[in-house]
Amino acid sequence: MSDIPVFFLHGLAYAGLLFLVSAGLTLIFGMMNVLNFAHAAMYMLGAYLSYTIIMQLTGQFWMALILCPLILFVIGALIERFLLRRVHKYGHLGELLLTFGLAYIVTELVKWYWGNYPLAVNITGFLSGTITIFGFIYPIYRIFIFLCAVLVGGVMALILYKTRLGIILRASVNDSEMTNTLGVNVPLVLMGVFAFGTALSGFAGVIAGPLLSTFPGMAQEILIDAFVVIVVGGFGSLGGAIVASLLIGQLQSFGVLLIPKLSVALVYLLMAIVLVVKPSGLFGEEQ
Amino acid sequence: MRKKLVYGLCFLSMVLMLSLPAFSVAAEGTIKLGVTEPLSGTFKDIGERYLDGVLYAAQVINESGGLLGKKVEVVPIDSELKPDVATRKAQSLILKDGVKFFCGGTGSSVGAAMAQLAEKQNAIMYTYGMDAASMTGEKCNKNFFRPGGSTDGRSFALAQLVVKMGYKKIAIIGQDYSFGHEALSAFKKRIAQISPSTKIVCELYHPAGTKDFAPYVSQIIAAKPDAIFTPNWGNDLTLLLKQGRPMGMKQKIFDYYINDEVTIQGLGNDSLIIGSMGAEIWTISMPTKKNEVFVAKFYKEKKRWPSYCAGKAYTATMFWAEAVKKAGSTDIAAVIKAWEGLSFDGPAGVWTMRAGDHQGQVPYWYTEIVAKNKYFKHAFETPRGMATAKSVEVPLAETGCKMK
Repeated sequence: MSDIPVFFLHGLAYAGLLFLVSAGLTLIFGMMNVLNFAHAAMYMLGAYLSYTIIMQLTGQFWMALILCPLILFVIGALIERFLLRRVHKYGHLGELLLTFGLAYIVTELVKWYWGNYPLAVNITGFLSGTITIFGFIYPIYRIFIFLCAVLVGGVMALILYKTRLGIILRASVNDSEMTNTLGVNVPLVLMGVFAFGTALSGFAGVIAGPLLSTFPGMAQEILIDAFVVIVVGGFGSLGGAIVASLLIGQLQSFGVLLIPKLSVALVYLLMAIVLVVKPSGLFGEEQ
Repeated sequence: MRKKLVYGLCFLSMVLMLSLPAFSVAAEGTIKLGVTEPLSGTFKDIGERYLDGVLYAAQVINESGGLLGKKVEVVPIDSELKPDVATRKAQSLILKDGVKFFCGGTGSSVGAAMAQLAEKQNAIMYTYGMDAASMTGEKCNKNFFRPGGSTDGRSFALAQLVVKMGYKKIAIIGQDYSFGHEALSAFKKRIAQISPSTKIVCELYHPAGTKDFAPYVSQIIAAKPDAIFTPNWGNDLTLLLKQGRPMGMKQKIFDYYINDEVTIQGLGNDSLIIGSMGAEIWTISMPTKKNEVFVAKFYKEKKRWPSYCAGKAYTATMFWAEAVKKAGSTDIAAVIKAWEGLSFDGPAGVWTMRAGDHQGQVPYWYTEIVAKNKYFKHAFETPRGMATAKSVEVPLAETGCKMK
């Protein structure tokens, strides 16, 4: 069992990807109480935009890593301002239908513009290399994914719990009317949250491109995983998303090694157990 | 945003309209051939490439005077890769338009449902791309034909190649559903028969649509094989190579569907796939006279090369046309009788339809992926010989087929 550290690394890298994909989803749910079904479609849009930026325009991975989240930030802000805000008064069903419809529209637009074929996003240079850890060759990019997740998780936690902006954010969630009366532009804050969440999904899309395939089915594939993470972690909980990602990442990696026949079921088993023992998720607040 | 939305909605409604079953006016004097393929959704590109081959076969038949003096009319059916959708649409075509012949290449579950429908409605269903061995095994029926490959044939051909090339330690990995299991067990069976000294050092099954292959790749590497066999296709092949190669999985890969230009393009990095080998019932590089004529004519007319899907669908449809010609009528019982035991000397060598299970006995053509080729700028295939139909034959008694 000399290769246990490698499987641990595999688990970490996958956990990183899971966290990046689910962070925006759980943020938007936690802050706005909106279950954003268009999240995975935005992730796909991010991946496709990164294809255009990296493979067709600049050849720079770093450019995509900066530009894609910015573009999606703007798209997210527009969606919140002109669509989501209008249906908000009709309650959850309206929001659900809107984001569901958006997911379909974005998916079809992507197919229309980029085609139905899988596209290759290739990275070059340092990130595409390998290093030797524990006597094994390990791709640097997988470590990079984990580090990105740590960075994103860290920045989000810092903003939320250590800054004035974080206080405003949390106040807006707790009592939006009161916060509004205190002179905070709550609608603007919520627009920012939705835009930031959308930007995060785009960031995840850029990161996923070189590891996975960029194809029209990628949104559906990742949506289920993202939902499992936030169900296990607790809807809207950042800490929950971190813990659940790490848990599921390791469960997948070691599950494949130790009990391959059950490896797929393990994750859903975990979800079932969590739902039975603590229906609101590991870190979720009781409703 | 709103303009985009309008575009999107227009597009959506167009897609919805296109996916309705095509109602064609029953024109007298045509032979209709329904093609069940996924023409929307994730597997659209595969469905379209198969349809491409059937359409081209119909064109070739019609140009040379038609079939029994009638034109062949292809009716595309979007199966959406769902058995119930395919059979519902096919049923309405049978009842409203009198369509009696169907074919398809994607999704063994669609094929199995279509085979049952064909039996019930006295029609014929044939496949050129659904490979699960059981379709002409336990699940066989007299209205279903497979002028194409099977997991048994492919696995036997690749096992023979691996042994011939002298590999002794093989890792095998496949998708964790009936297709992957049938493919791997046939491979193991053949290895045990022809080379007991060759060891399977690692046997892995992963869920279809796996996103992280790293835990599987680490186990393959730890087993230190000198070659890898996999029936994976599409994304499961792409990610195995894309994630496995950088981790040090350098072994030669033997795969069912290696000569797929879309997969190779989607990899975007030729070095990941160069040196891999495959076995197919039709490949563009088969050095037969008839194939060279077909490929050249196809390219001249369409300014693009036929994909392996198109080639298989074309050859199988020409074989079906031979059977109809021999029957001298479109009567289903007569066509079934005519097709049983019929041999067809086409682009991919001689194909013979075995009467006992309706499984085509076909040779398998080996290819290797090389950097320089005359078809594409990216890496593609070069021929590496073939396995004769006889050498990969599964005795009828072992198929489990009991035809009524």
